[in-house]
Amino acid sequence: MRVPLLWAFLLCPPLTAQDGAQLYGLYCGACHGADGNGATGGQFPPLAGSPWVAGDEERAIRIVLHGLHGPVNVKGRTYNLEMPPQGAMLPDDQIAAILTHVRSSWGNASPAVAPAKVATIRAAQQQRKTPWTAEELLRDFPLPLEKSALSQLISRSYEWSKPEMPDFSTLQALNTEEEHDGLLDAADAPRKEHFAMTWEGTFTAPQEGSYEFLLDADDGAALHLDGKKLVEITGIGPANGGRSKIGKIDLKAGSIPFRAEYYEFTGQEAVSAAWRLKGQKGWNWLSREHMGARPDLEPIPIEPENGRAVIYRNFITGTTPRAIGVGFPSGINLAYSADHLAPEILWTGPFLDGTGKWLERGTNPSPPAGDRVVKCSSSPALPAGTRFRGYELDPAGNPTFISTLGQQIIRDHFEASGGTLTRRISLNSGAPVRVVISDAFAWELTNDQTGKLGPLELHIEGAGTLSQGKPFTLDLTPGTVTLTYRWK
Amino acid sequence: MKSAASLFAASILASSAADYLREEIPLPPGEVMEIGSIALMPEDRVAVATRRGDIWIVEGAHGQDLNQVRWKKFARNLHEPLGMFWQEGSLWVTQRPEVTRITDTDADGLADRFETICAEWQIKGDYHEYAFGSTPDKEGNIWVVLCLTGSFTSECPWRGWCVRVTPKGEMIPTCPGIRSPGGIGFNPQGDCFYTDNQGVWNGSSSLKWLKPGSFQGNPTGNRWHELAKLPKPPEPADKSRMVTERERFPDLMPPAVIFPHGKVGQSPTAVIADESDGRFGPFTGQMLVGEQTHSQVQRVCLEKVNGLYQGAVFHFLDGFQAGIVPMRLAADGTLFIGGTNRGWASRGSKPFTFERVRWNGTTPFEIHTMSATKAGFDLTFTAPVDPASAANPASYSMDAWTYIYQSEYGSPEVDQAKPVIRKATVSGDGRRVSLEIDGRVRGHVHHLAAPGIKSTTGTALVHAEAWYTLNEIPR
Ligand code: HEC
Repeated sequence: MRVPLLWAFLLCPPLTAQDGAQLYGLYCGACHGADGNGATGGQFPPLAGSPWVAGDEERAIRIVLHGLHGPVNVKGRTYNLEMPPQGAMLPDDQIAAILTHVRSSWGNASPAVAPAKVATIRAAQQQRKTPWTAEELLRDFPLPLEKSALSQLISRSYEWSKPEMPDFSTLQALNTEEEHDGLLDAADAPRKEHFAMTWEGTFTAPQEGSYEFLLDADDGAALHLDGKKLVEITGIGPANGGRSKIGKIDLKAGSIPFRAEYYEFTGQEAVSAAWRLKGQKGWNWLSREHMGARPDLEPIPIEPENGRAVIYRNFITGTTPRAIGVGFPSGINLAYSADHLAPEILWTGPFLDGTGKWLERGTNPSPPAGDRVVKCSSSPALPAGTRFRGYELDPAGNPTFISTLGQQIIRDHFEASGGTLTRRISLNSGAPVRVVISDAFAWELTNDQTGKLGPLELHIEGAGTLSQGKPFTLDLTPGTVTLTYRWK
Repeated sequence: MKSAASLFAASILASSAADYLREEIPLPPGEVMEIGSIALMPEDRVAVATRRGDIWIVEGAHGQDLNQVRWKKFARNLHEPLGMFWQEGSLWVTQRPEVTRITDTDADGLADRFETICAEWQIKGDYHEYAFGSTPDKEGNIWVVLCLTGSFTSECPWRGWCVRVTPKGEMIPTCPGIRSPGGIGFNPQGDCFYTDNQGVWNGSSSLKWLKPGSFQGNPTGNRWHELAKLPKPPEPADKSRMVTERERFPDLMPPAVIFPHGKVGQSPTAVIADESDGRFGPFTGQMLVGEQTHSQVQRVCLEKVNGLYQGAVFHFLDGFQAGIVPMRLAADGTLFIGGTNRGWASRGSKPFTFERVRWNGTTPFEIHTMSATKAGFDLTFTAPVDPASAANPASYSMDAWTYIYQSEYGSPEVDQAKPVIRKATVSGDGRRVSLEIDGRVRGHVHHLAAPGIKSTTGTALVHAEAWYTLNEIPR
């Protein structure tokens, strides 16, 4: 017998923590792992040791009732997934039993959850229709603090009004405090703008090894270990991971002097620091705010193989959903829109990075990975009624996109070498067909058949009539027109 | 050609029938093979398509020595193909934006022609815009089920619909009411079925019959009917019951077989029929359904009662290495399964897998079919039962429930009932037991447990449970 007769015990309340273990296996284990460490080697967030299930039980109850989506940081690692709501399926006593089990297993040690508490929260949140975001939950239920690796921490605040790090030896502290929680916090300063801070204390390394220190700040900050500057953020800007930096250092087990420096110009203020042993997933925080951790994503370069152009079909940021990327071995790339029947974006250098669409649920954007990006057009390039019929690849992998308008066939071929992209567009028969070459730029003729198309140089040869001004169009007659694009 | 890594694992399926051997097929080293489609090809070749969009063709996957398999990449980076078959020299692929016919015209082993057959449905860039495509039906049409935008809304045309694509590339909107499909296929009679996942308007996951013109239950994508001048689909009342709403809307198609959430699975996927003529064991004519979260294969027997399909689901195969998405059963009785758990976790803890299952010729002792009768249910068995245990009503128990038909996500089991098994009559050959039951409820899932049944040789059932969805009671 595989599955116990579940209903038999579900009908006889009250449920115990042991029932909670079985229910956990049935309803949560597939995603969070039988051992609470997150299923599939930690691709899913752990419940073992998770501060999200500790402390006030309402945080976890809300998650189970309505689900959770968007970025969430668990034990220093950022997930950006979706947990489906369980509340419409699981009654109060089952949720209480599951959370009681979760809060008392795998080293977790928080008190039991009463079914009445679940009922109260369910009633209070009756209007809620969408899953929670981590941000919403943290506003009402901050996470319990973890123990910091900093001790004997002293903070000093200074008046300072430049967007750069001061020479602290020339300044007089406004304020000096002992920070017993061992955490950096920009809110400990007596001012909100135009100030600087230092923190000095002891960092205790638990073992010998290679360490990484993460730093993020609004606006600038630096970390010094053992009297040496390890990592620094300069200038002004937000603390949202976009400017965060990681410094690396080999340490022996034991205590070493720690110093952090920080300045705030105007607007928001925040400083965030953390450490980990190389290879550890997630971060141990040294600050009250937890910012700057980026998902640990190695880029997945999508590249030509065996000297052939690479074709990539997926959503590409900057063109329509039916996008077809083409990356040539010579480092020229384009994104063809099978909706608009046109090469809408051209760029050079790296083609695309697979991390946007090929990891997790593929919810991240996937813009051109290279540079000198030119958006040539963003509207239908062929007359209404033209249908996309697909593409053919020549032996070098170069594509010819094919569209039909009644009996007329339009073939749009691309190849690249050196610094030029060559496009041959042809029509088999019939009346002229208008092709939009660019709705963003006009073609400014410079000399015989060569002109400027925005930042590009475009040379045109063949049978057709070209328009003046914007949009720049070609009335294609039966035959072939060759367009040669070059980056200036 | 790349020669595959030489180590592979074979195991007798852990908690499932010991008479089925599961083997991992070695994959090309270093490649991310999150398999979303499988196609059977001539000369025992098999094509697979990955979620990253690569198509690979493998030779030797039917062979005795799986260390000999040889892989060759056929095409790269299509847009998440979820449905593929081989026909007259081409692979036909349902990828997110379109149905495509892919051909290697110069026979160098690389695809060079990608013909867009149909791109009539819309996408807007949402990660959840899955399109699952079938093999061709008797007229050559491909059936495609189009997931809702983000699985909750329908923000562009035909999200939440099943459409048919004719060989000429026309699109025929066929059934509204889809939520989040996991697979699509035909029963041996040629009727089309798909799996839909628990969520809004789906109290639990289920296998559904795509009868053309029927409404599959989720009204989110209803409004697109105007584009094709089709009749307005039903707008069911919220927090109702399927049986109640069926009285109001004759087009509302109840799930053929509900897979109770957690107990049977959490995310059903591939739908295939066993048409291997006994080469895959005693279940010819039945359906097999993949299960992503639990990394299992379930078995379904269907019957038509009062014009509607209904039937029972049984646990069947277990212990796969990742979440199952596509399956194909070859004529020689080899079941191929592909798996991935990217973005959706599974019990099988590998990020992806390609496996095959073959039957060793020994018949497992199982409930073969469960069918509704006027008086109760008939059970047939794969081997004669011991009449003493099988004729004793106490060897069985039954409970029943249904789900709230609602716009909320999922549903608890509600309206619990306890049908009473009055009498069990064993047929002369010991292969059939007729149960007389009081208190069955039309529309409910009926859960049968028969742990006390033994075969005449004293073996216990491999799986002693069944879940039968009683849409209709035979008249
Ligand atoms: C279908 C997969 C799935 C199921 C089933 C599931 N979860 Fe989750 N859970 C997730 C995902 C994914 C996240 C992270 C969501 C995000 O990235 O915003 C999460 C987040 C959480 C969190 C907060 C983060 C953490 O790791 O502490 C808690 C607590 C939680 N789940 C508890 C549960 C409990 C209890 C159950 C069973 C009743 C359950 N979950 C069932 C997928 C699931």
